[in-house]
Amino acid sequence: MSKSRRPNRWRLGDRAILNLFIWPTLILLIAFNFFPLFYSLFLAFTKYSAIGRAAPLFIWFDNFQTILQDENMWNHFATSGRFVLASVGLETIIGFTLAMLVRQKFRGSGLITTLILVPMMLSPVVVGLFWKVPMYDPSFGYFNYLIGFPRPASGPDMIASSFARDSVPGLALWAVVIVDVWMWTPFVMLLVLSGLNAIPDYLYEAAAIDRASSWFQFWRITLPQVAPLLLIAVLFRTIEAFKSFDLVMGMTGGGPGDQTELIAVSLYKKAFQGSWLTGYSSALAYIILIIIIAVSNVYIKYLNQIKGEA
Amino acid sequence: MARFEDMGPASPVVESIRVDMVNPTARLLGKIRAAIAVALATILLIPVYVMIVTSIKSYNDVVAIPPKLVFEPTMQGFVFLFSERAVLSKAQLEEYQKNPGELDFIGQLALEAGQQVTGPSDYVGRLKNSLIIAGVSTVLSVVLGFFAAYAFSRFNVPGKNDLLFFILSTRMLPAVVVTIPLFLMYRTLRLHDTHLGMILLYTVFNLSFSVWLLKGFIDEIPREYEDAALVDGYSRLEAFFKIVLPQSVTGLAATTVFCLIFAWNEYAFSLMLTSEKARTAPPSIATMLGRGVVEWQAIAAGSVLFLIPVVVITFALRKYLLRGVTFGAIRQ
Amino acid sequence: MATIELRKVEKKFGTAYAVEPMDLTINHGEFVVLLGPSGCGKTTTLRMISGLETVSGGHIYLDGRDVTWLHPSDRDTAFVFQLFALYPHLTVRQNIAFPLQAQHESPETITKRVAETVELLKIGDLLNQRPGNLSGGDRQRVALARALVRHPAAFLMDEPLGALDADFRETMRAEIKRLHIEQNATTVYVTHDQIEAMAMADKIVVMSNAVVQHIGSPAEVYHNPSNLFVAAFIGSPGMNLMAGHFANQTVHFSDENSFKPPKEWNSALQVGLPSEGEVIVGFRPEVARLSDKGALVGDVYAVDIHGSYSVLHVKLAGSKDELGIVHLRADRRTSHPIGAKVSFDLDPEMVRFFNPQTEAAIRRENA
Repeated sequence: MSKSRRPNRWRLGDRAILNLFIWPTLILLIAFNFFPLFYSLFLAFTKYSAIGRAAPLFIWFDNFQTILQDENMWNHFATSGRFVLASVGLETIIGFTLAMLVRQKFRGSGLITTLILVPMMLSPVVVGLFWKVPMYDPSFGYFNYLIGFPRPASGPDMIASSFARDSVPGLALWAVVIVDVWMWTPFVMLLVLSGLNAIPDYLYEAAAIDRASSWFQFWRITLPQVAPLLLIAVLFRTIEAFKSFDLVMGMTGGGPGDQTELIAVSLYKKAFQGSWLTGYSSALAYIILIIIIAVSNVYIKYLNQIKGEA
Repeated sequence: MARFEDMGPASPVVESIRVDMVNPTARLLGKIRAAIAVALATILLIPVYVMIVTSIKSYNDVVAIPPKLVFEPTMQGFVFLFSERAVLSKAQLEEYQKNPGELDFIGQLALEAGQQVTGPSDYVGRLKNSLIIAGVSTVLSVVLGFFAAYAFSRFNVPGKNDLLFFILSTRMLPAVVVTIPLFLMYRTLRLHDTHLGMILLYTVFNLSFSVWLLKGFIDEIPREYEDAALVDGYSRLEAFFKIVLPQSVTGLAATTVFCLIFAWNEYAFSLMLTSEKARTAPPSIATMLGRGVVEWQAIAAGSVLFLIPVVVITFALRKYLLRGVTFGAIRQ
Repeated sequence: MATIELRKVEKKFGTAYAVEPMDLTINHGEFVVLLGPSGCGKTTTLRMISGLETVSGGHIYLDGRDVTWLHPSDRDTAFVFQLFALYPHLTVRQNIAFPLQAQHESPETITKRVAETVELLKIGDLLNQRPGNLSGGDRQRVALARALVRHPAAFLMDEPLGALDADFRETMRAEIKRLHIEQNATTVYVTHDQIEAMAMADKIVVMSNAVVQHIGSPAEVYHNPSNLFVAAFIGSPGMNLMAGHFANQTVHFSDENSFKPPKEWNSALQVGLPSEGEVIVGFRPEVARLSDKGALVGDVYAVDIHGSYSVLHVKLAGSKDELGIVHLRADRRTSHPIGAKVSFDLDPEMVRFFNPQTEAAIRRENA
């Protein structure tokens, strides 16, 4: 594929460019992921504690067995599943809606779009802390005050999963979902907006001349053109939501009880609290990894299918 | 009966707009959309507003029940952010109150809260580290990612789908797990607590997103543009810089913003892989457990200040972020 | 098929004119070309006719009906875009059928008309493909089919051949013209390519800088351009334009070169020129007659051999710079080496004169 051009002018052939462009990225990724990935994999099959004296002891699949037979673990997986579904679902819908609203320029639309991005720019840990107290605190937090419950005893206590002192299980998870949606809807919006802006006007003009209905224009023009970027946004949000840690730790620490114990939090507790079960948590991490890979594969297949049709 | 179809609008139309968009119904719909967008944006921004407001409240105002909407603004949060303080005993307090003249503005603020300034906090140093580490790693991940994304988009890379999946998978492992091996690796390679170490780490984290997102954008650019250039005698590289680069501006801007945000706000690895020299700001903002209480006003102040560079950069890039790729502008 | 009338139609963006107030009548079955360089306002005018752009003033009539404020789909016009604008997620057949479905035609009508149109454009084997898989030429045929299937009163085409390869352009040009003749369709066609315009049009509207320069048939626009712009823009190469000074019934270009206009022009020239007598003489390459005793002389600067004829680039004696280079058509049998001296006359019927200040052509009748 190398072009033999005028020999006195230095030109790179396609093959050389391909290598030059890809290898730096690959090398970096391999260098930094190789050791951690494989070392963790190794540890997953061992009984080992990072703070213990003993060397890793090979125990085959015992860790995996223990995890899969632990009902609490399944609970945590389920909690994570609900969290991912609710957050990513809401982020997609609201983000897409916002993008559609903002794409037709009106006075101040540029400013509004930039402002909407602000929640995404905050540090998740700080966000977790901040929502926990100055927002959600039933006494001096703003959340209750703004939705109409100024008196502490009368309103919901999101973090404690209760409403007027009566326990409402699952409320804390919704508290976390709300914050996650608040933070990451702008992400989806921005990507969808970029996709929307790339759709050529003349497609809509042709539709106007043919008197196509709004539904047709959305379903046959807008959605197919924006689908690839939307899917990328949803894919990355899903992966991140499964791994979500900073936010939850800052806000609830997994509580009350284990209502908001997402698997990443579980992982942290097993790895860095109590007896530091390093081997066990490595196994857990790989189970999580497998789940994420499976889900991602579904997305990617769908993405390729859509691209193939275009 | 004067219908719009017969009469047209009241005043001449001097903008570029379709005839079916200029009638009163269409205009009204446009206004409604704008109103809903503004409403949603406002709701979304309330917590940010709360944060800004908290940063200029005194501690007592922050914890007042019910939350105070009207209060006297103070710089207490910012001052506390930048200073180390010690709580004064009752005796010391009385003494200072008798001789207040020596204290400067900052000292006065501290005194009001019953504290004494003992020196600067490490916030500024952390801020500098954040700027260096996040800045360099963002540039690296966007540039490398852009090249790789182009190659994946345009060339028949052997094992393309597998490679792309591998790149994606580097982001799938929860951070908590990779921590211990990375810690060991960094210790061995003497990258612990170094700027280089953190830069490399953040670059690697952002690369997978950068490659995927940029490939998504580059895929949208029709190949015909480059083919035409190649036929005209440009080399592949020239076509890349002259044609693909300008058309990728939106993608590059979006990727830069996202990579920057991630590197800027990253907490866990910064906490675990650095100690004094290369630690960035997020770990210190989060642990502003002050003299006995969580100093919310200082945390808010820290967050607000920390937010500003990212907002500034995003605002600067907004023209590129929000513009579309113009397909129809083939002017001879 | 229909007549289209534009009365005082104008378009402003802010305070700047994109199209200055213009009047235009397009008759039933006519092929009218809006011709001009980029940014002259031709596309804006077309879009105003279709409704994709609102007018800032004036009225548009279709068959006597005021359509100025009607929805684009209510004007009974079809639009063919430069970049085809085919719905990417529909098959070719669905693309073509779509306008009829949107108008709620019966399935029988739809099937019949789609079949007719497909037959006409010979795209039968593309029916189940998506536009993304087609070549440029095929896509444009599908776009044409989509326009044709509605049997609209008028076709509006915005540089439809601009995105195609050069050789393909000629083929498609002929196809579009054939379709026009067969369907007897009123067509408004926008292009910047004057060769295309001359080949296809019944009537050409030459525009520049938002202003209509000349409305006329190809022959009129070619032989009697209304101003300097049209003279230079039409024809390849454009009309030779030489600046000179008119006095005593002679035009002086330089010490060595002067030219005596035919008698019937003198009175018009006396009246039509500015007081100092500045004039621009225009003639097309084929208007020059090479001869040994020609009135105008010069040196051969370059020669383009076109096979059946040659074009000589001649530097007129006495002229200082490139402004003095004219293009003359010469017989293929004679040879003209570079640097050789040539002399030539101008065919008195075909020579033209322009006022340098107003840039307008001087008409023989202005007496």
